[in-house]
Amino acid sequence: MDTAEQAALREAVRDFCGKHRDAQAWTRLTGELGLTGLAVPECYGGAGAGLAEVAVAVEETGRVLLPAPYLSTALAGAVLSEAGAVPAAEFLPGIASGALRAAFVLGSAVTASGGRLTGVAHHVLDGAEAGLFIVRAGDALFAVRAADAVATPAGTLDQTRSQAAVAFQDAPALAAGDAAERVEDLLRVMLAVESAGAAAHCLDVTVGYLKTRVQFGRPIGAFQALRHRCADLAVEVASARATAYAAVRAAAAPAGTASPAELAVLGPLAKRHCVDVFWHVAAEMIQLHGGIGFTWEHEAHRYLKRAKTTQLLHGTPAELRRLVSQRAGLC
Amino acid sequence: MNDEDFRLEVRGWLTSALGSPEFACLAGKGGTGRAHEFVDERMAWERRLGADGWIGLGWPEADGGRGLSWDRQVIFYEEYARANGPGRVGHIGEQLVAPTLLMFGTPEQKARFLPGIAAGTELWCQGYSEPGAGSDLAGLRTRASLRDGEWHIDGQKIWTSLAHVADWCFLLARTEAGSDRHRGLSCLLVPVRQPGIEIRPITQITGTAEFNEVFFDDARTLAENVAGSPGDGWRVALGMLGVERGVSNLGQLIGFQREFESVLTTARGNGSIDDPDIAARIADAWIGLQVLRFTTEDALGGGDAGGGSAGGGLAGGVAANVTKVMWTTWHQRLGELAADVAGPDATLAGPDYGLTDTQRLFLFARAETIFGGSNEIQRNIIAERGLGLPRG
Repeated sequence: MDTAEQAALREAVRDFCGKHRDAQAWTRLTGELGLTGLAVPECYGGAGAGLAEVAVAVEETGRVLLPAPYLSTALAGAVLSEAGAVPAAEFLPGIASGALRAAFVLGSAVTASGGRLTGVAHHVLDGAEAGLFIVRAGDALFAVRAADAVATPAGTLDQTRSQAAVAFQDAPALAAGDAAERVEDLLRVMLAVESAGAAAHCLDVTVGYLKTRVQFGRPIGAFQALRHRCADLAVEVASARATAYAAVRAAAAPAGTASPAELAVLGPLAKRHCVDVFWHVAAEMIQLHGGIGFTWEHEAHRYLKRAKTTQLLHGTPAELRRLVSQRAGLC
Repeated sequence: MNDEDFRLEVRGWLTSALGSPEFACLAGKGGTGRAHEFVDERMAWERRLGADGWIGLGWPEADGGRGLSWDRQVIFYEEYARANGPGRVGHIGEQLVAPTLLMFGTPEQKARFLPGIAAGTELWCQGYSEPGAGSDLAGLRTRASLRDGEWHIDGQKIWTSLAHVADWCFLLARTEAGSDRHRGLSCLLVPVRQPGIEIRPITQITGTAEFNEVFFDDARTLAENVAGSPGDGWRVALGMLGVERGVSNLGQLIGFQREFESVLTTARGNGSIDDPDIAARIADAWIGLQVLRFTTEDALGGGDAGGGSAGGGLAGGVAANVTKVMWTTWHQRLGELAADVAGPDATLAGPDYGLTDTQRLFLFARAETIFGGSNEIQRNIIAERGLGLPRG
């Protein structure tokens, strides 16, 4: 459950997202609300809050599929705050002000040698507009300026979030700690939170439609075949939010209060569950809207595409199940 | 005393009481699907719980309870499950009847009935469902009329847990002749052991009997034994269902974890975990249990503050409906997995249809999506009250 401050933050972000989805959204998001600096210490121009607050903003921007690299940039703020003084001083002021947008290059495509990075990573979310890449090479993390890499934007199924192929050729990089596995899990937690928010929005819109769409002389939401499907979706959405925030608690716990193993299990677990729920709700959103839900004009297709994209990147459902199984010691 | 001290106190008492010669046989006995086990011993156990002050933890102290917080009650149920305590025979009295009397009862009724529940000496059953009134409870036809200072009761109830050991029945009956649906009903408190009441166990899918049919043929109870006003029974009955907020659901999860671990141990032992399909289902069951735990904690763990955020966009009051759909569905899948993990051994029964724990889990879980308000009814409630969808 939100603290009073988090509830106020949620309300502010929801209000903002209801009004601004245009090209200027980023400026206002960072300038007026300071959202990218939520987890950045105050000495670097941030709000000095933490991952729990970032999660609230990610859920709310996720509800509207805000077309801006918010998740990556805000999470980079949190990650670099933990990464040591040098990369923090270098990049956090830009992240807090919104001048610098970030993207994560995780997985195993990039290798490090003598502090320089080489490799080509595909499917870098928010990579097209990033000024900074947080790159995994082995267990280590590095910060690389976009000017030292070659990012090639890709056309995307989900047009609300960019992707790029990013090539590093002996690229100069700043060491940013060795918590690569933790960061991969933190990204999964945030994708889970975002998916839970988006799923909740899909359900809200669908239920609203079922109350107003009349066929056979009554609102179609009165038909039990549809009511029960919505009830099942409501159960799933409730479970997704609860699971996402359990993972956030593990992620945001101060050092020493929660075992690292907890995040290692809950990161993949939450992503798998929440994105599967999101996918199911988005698919049902189209079906329950009927023909209008199949049109380009209606928002449903954007959610379906976001759900599938999120499901296929940073661990497919089958991969994450294996990961959870291993990390929980089941097999 | 802080919560941790309280937990240690509960744990110490349970260890000592369940370790005593009288009750050592009871660990893990008599839970759902095994209500036939050690009934006399479990009745004695209920009295022991009562004597040592472990019944009515959340009731006000003035009413004979201990006035403990929601969190403390949760601790008790968690420790009880962790100690593998036996299935309770007094839970209908403690968790349903007592809260209803606290809400609707007269001072005299509270003084008459609460002490017996708190002491574990008077057991209760609940007479709601009828052969013709299951999900459509308002269609019930058991009738009662007031003559010469007594209610005279005729009709039939079904699926009545624990009627065979109960002293009292909390009965929903039609007390206004010619009334319809939810009007004209009353909640009567009826002594079970009397000539006008006949109890027949219902042999169920497991070959054992968990539930009963109860027949009323001019059964009697005193005029004053009505909870709330005569004719106001529907509101009282709904209030009773409303108190099923599921404090024990949190403890139940510990039992689920134990059952999961048993399935996992079997799968490792007989090599079925090497089957990728079984391994995947085991992982899914474990993930599902964590999701269930988070959702239950979020939905019910708000406790005294009332409800967490799991409702998402849901209006208040449906958290228990959401978790009921979840836990019953999860548990049913676990039962299916348990049978598949056991493999061909799951197809054999012992003498007198003796079943293993696995087989009982597999079979009894079919009841869970039906009882306590079928999952279809839960979905209706979630759709109407939670999502605001129109009635059909």
